[in-house]
Amino acid sequence: MRKNLFTIALLLFAFTYVQAQEVAFEEYKLDNGLHVILHQDDTAPVVITSVMYQVGAKDENPERTGFAHFFEHLLFEGTENIERGEWFKIVSSYGGSNNANTSDDRTYYYELFPSNAVEVGLWMESERMLHPIINQVGVDTQNEVVKEEKRLRVDNQPYGNIFSEVKKNMFKKHPYRWSPIGSMEHLDAATLDEFLAFNEKFYVPNNATLVVAGDINVPEVKKMIQDYFGPIPRGAEVERVNIKEDPITEQINAVAYDPNIQIPAVLHAYRTPAMNTREARVLDMVSTILSDGKSSRLYKKLVDDKKMALQVSAFNVSQQDYGMYLTFALPLNNTSLEDLTKEIDEEIVKLQTELISEREFEKLQNVFENRFVNSNATIAGIAGSLATYQMLYGDINLINNEIDIYRSITREEIREAARKYLNPNQRLRLEYLPENDKQ
Amino acid sequence: MKKYILSLTACLFFISFINAQVDRSKRPVPAPAPTINLSTPQSFELDNGMKVMVVRNTKLPRVRIQLRLDNPLYASQDKAGVESLLAAMLGNGTTSISKEDFNEEVDFLGASINFGSQSGFASSLSKYFDRIFELFADAAKNPLLDGEEFQKEKDKLLEALKNNKKDVSTVSRQVSSALLYGKKHPKGEFATEETVQNITLADVKNYYENFFSPENAYLVVIGDVNFSKVEALAKAHFENWPKRNVLDVSYSDPTDVQYTQINFIDMPNAVQSELVVENIVNLKMSDPDYHAVLIANSILGGDFNSYLNMNLREDKGWTYGARSSTGAGKHVTSFYASTSVRNAVTDSAVVEMLHEIKNIRENLVENDKLALAKAKYTGNFVLALERPETIANYALNIEIQNLSKDFYENYLKKINAVTAEDVKRVANKYFLVNNARIVVTGKGSEVLEGLKKIDRGDGTMIPVKYFDIYGNEVEEPNYTIAMDPSVTIETVLNNYINAIGGKGKLNDVKSVFTTAGATMQGMQLGMEMKVTSDNKMSQAILMGGMPLQKTVFDGQTGYTMAQGQKMEFDEKQLADMKEGTGLFPELDPAKATLIGMDTVDGVTAYAVGYGDSKVSFYNAETGLKIKDENTQEVNGTPMKSSILYGDYKEVGGIQFPHTMTVSAGPQEIKFEVTDIKINEGVSEEDFK
Repeated sequence: MRKNLFTIALLLFAFTYVQAQEVAFEEYKLDNGLHVILHQDDTAPVVITSVMYQVGAKDENPERTGFAHFFEHLLFEGTENIERGEWFKIVSSYGGSNNANTSDDRTYYYELFPSNAVEVGLWMESERMLHPIINQVGVDTQNEVVKEEKRLRVDNQPYGNIFSEVKKNMFKKHPYRWSPIGSMEHLDAATLDEFLAFNEKFYVPNNATLVVAGDINVPEVKKMIQDYFGPIPRGAEVERVNIKEDPITEQINAVAYDPNIQIPAVLHAYRTPAMNTREARVLDMVSTILSDGKSSRLYKKLVDDKKMALQVSAFNVSQQDYGMYLTFALPLNNTSLEDLTKEIDEEIVKLQTELISEREFEKLQNVFENRFVNSNATIAGIAGSLATYQMLYGDINLINNEIDIYRSITREEIREAARKYLNPNQRLRLEYLPENDKQ
Repeated sequence: MKKYILSLTACLFFISFINAQVDRSKRPVPAPAPTINLSTPQSFELDNGMKVMVVRNTKLPRVRIQLRLDNPLYASQDKAGVESLLAAMLGNGTTSISKEDFNEEVDFLGASINFGSQSGFASSLSKYFDRIFELFADAAKNPLLDGEEFQKEKDKLLEALKNNKKDVSTVSRQVSSALLYGKKHPKGEFATEETVQNITLADVKNYYENFFSPENAYLVVIGDVNFSKVEALAKAHFENWPKRNVLDVSYSDPTDVQYTQINFIDMPNAVQSELVVENIVNLKMSDPDYHAVLIANSILGGDFNSYLNMNLREDKGWTYGARSSTGAGKHVTSFYASTSVRNAVTDSAVVEMLHEIKNIRENLVENDKLALAKAKYTGNFVLALERPETIANYALNIEIQNLSKDFYENYLKKINAVTAEDVKRVANKYFLVNNARIVVTGKGSEVLEGLKKIDRGDGTMIPVKYFDIYGNEVEEPNYTIAMDPSVTIETVLNNYINAIGGKGKLNDVKSVFTTAGATMQGMQLGMEMKVTSDNKMSQAILMGGMPLQKTVFDGQTGYTMAQGQKMEFDEKQLADMKEGTGLFPELDPAKATLIGMDTVDGVTAYAVGYGDSKVSFYNAETGLKIKDENTQEVNGTPMKSSILYGDYKEVGGIQFPHTMTVSAGPQEIKFEVTDIKINEGVSEEDFK
């Protein structure tokens, strides 16, 4: 009973705190369709300018994979007013830093600056959107750089190809079947005209969200945005990918080899619903129960008690069209991969048949609250979340109230999601083995 | 066309607007620099010597705790790895709380508690801070170090080390430190399966006893918490931690090599080579050179715009990135420039890295590059202020590194005072290009030949020494394979001749006219090659049907025509061409020598030399020719090019390769043969 009282007090306490932490923002659209989000916070003299384009690996021509990621490199090559090779120098010369990243669903470019240089960031991002220079020299240089990136991040990395293997097996029709890094043959074969066409199609204001966050003067920044981005012409409407996968009805068994590893791995992947569904969040909680922290079920059983695994994890991969739920394990002490599968399956069956305990349920609340607090720790983190919620989830208010969805999930829903999505006949079982084992 | 009209309309529509508002051809002028406020943490000291600092920041309802033990360096020698085992075991229960209960409670609160061998870290929501502080203190003072947990962590570490043996970047990092500092130095040693096997539970306990003491401990608390609360908690939970003397062993100072050398580690699974250029650095943060070294390193390799990255990534496209770092602090540290490049350009990349280090030592940096590096440092300093940890780290550095109280207040002033002369001076003092180790980890069978031929600048080569993945010196690896004594030049050539159709068929061939095509970076390339049995040849490369380059030899004289310019063969080229025997050099064993066995992409092959510039490789099993390798001098530097042959198909009774992959330097073009004509389509006109 005492414990109960304690919890209620805590809940009240938490409530006030979360209120205090609310991220305030303002959003509007320019005439050319550019979505603008502003967030003002003057705790440090820092500002971020970022643009998210709704183009990722899934928007690529299947014969030209790797384009979105290639553009992540290409769009640093210069613009009509920023000479080739100057981009990074300009950012540095105002004391800023910048980067970009690409997923299956979108590409994200950003600059962080001391707050006095906000106009520089807006100028640069508008230059990139209005008139980037895309020519053969830039294409050739970045082609080599991307190849090195693939060698570094994928081919020379232990377990570096595992994700590509999973996607290839999990998706037969949907473009999630390839990885953002794409095919080097496709990139070699691509002509300059194809790159130009890709730019014209996707990198337009009506397919983008601009975020300016940090120590900003809102009226001044609004005027700058109108000045720099207002004149950019609207592009044609962008058609979204609409490809449905057939359900998986029997276990897909696959084997892949990696020359950079000595320890085999076994991976199970289940296809799950899109990221903005309630069920995707329920599955987030499932992976937390199974593998987040030393007291999680899989870790405790396989790593601690039975000493069968060197490592075991569960991930819920959230994406716009489909998600994936993955469990991954490395065996210890000559445990067979079949035994690992059996042990992991047992835990999933437990989730499907028994409700999680009240205490585990309370733990979930703490874990997700902690995650929520930390996700808003930096201006850059807030900017990224604002753009993601607005563009990919279709609801920007989730930055403040997604935690409420997690809080409302019940123990019964967790059991139901496990029953509905985590069955052996709905999955891929991948054995990822050292190249040496290949006969 | 449609697009053109659209943008034209857009232009008209917006033109007045643009004029009235901004001139986007000019960079915006930034507003005045923001003011910087460096607050100092509140601090106090416990009776046992532990120092506590508090940085209050209420932006988020969370608190972080950092524990740092500023102990002397220590090498575990034949028990290296004991520190990793201790780190893994700490934070898993205490003498009064079982491991299961401890982990369950931390996870339940959504918090985290982790330890290193000389550090600790915890984070929690502020509402659970009191309890997490208590658990953290208990775990640091009274850890549960039991046999079962020990064995489990030991097994896990052994398993992980097994995997590391194949990880090229891990091996590169470990061996380059071992070579630089020496394997017995704390900064040079690393755990291996052997050293981990030596470790017992008693060793782990000893390590804990020797080093976990409040004597050199700093506790930093950052976040949504009051000073008085931290003070009360620290007194309640840390004051009773008894002070113990920390083990202090001295080590001989590591020294640099007498002369620059390549240290090569062979890893046959590498698809990229890891390159490191390194030397020892002794530089305290309080040293007057400190700020100049930061700027010099930033210019050389500390940033995207640095010499190294601009050369190797942006100019050459050889790597995803090239960087350098120069350490500073109270312990010995290093200058470390590194990159990962594909096998084919390994030697060239070494040359370019050395070139850039020489460049910063010999030439004054341009003003705009210096200004850029300073601006970047200023920006980083401002951006770092967003993290409350920054204030704590600054205060901690002032204590640990024995800096003046105003070190960070003067930081930007000192950075901005660095001159081009300062940069050159410190580059010469700290980037020791003449006493550097160049540690290369990669696939020897593909990269070693080139590495052995890097000129020091005086006509002699940079010496190469060989090491295994543990940093032990070994013999030069031998990639040649012992050959069956019955194999002679005649048997190799005859096998080839028989494999492609037999001597009779080949003797009937007077000319071959080959047409091939390739795609290079999106462009179509064509090749037309005509060769006769009396040693005449012409080869034309076409792009989009237009001739790009043409080489012609009529048996006596020849020339190359490129971009409208005709260049007659020089004497060396003429001599080489005259050496040739036309279509099938294999028909004349007198001009060939058997060099030995080798492998080409994993296939065993016989290597046969023709003259001193060409080597051909014949598949030992099928007899077919799989590769030609040519060495040519370009501007005094030997350049290697090669052609890989594949997809043999029969034409007129003779097997011809239908793919030819031409590589020169980093470039690779794969030609696919579309047509082969025998004794047809070739006339004397073709060789004029």
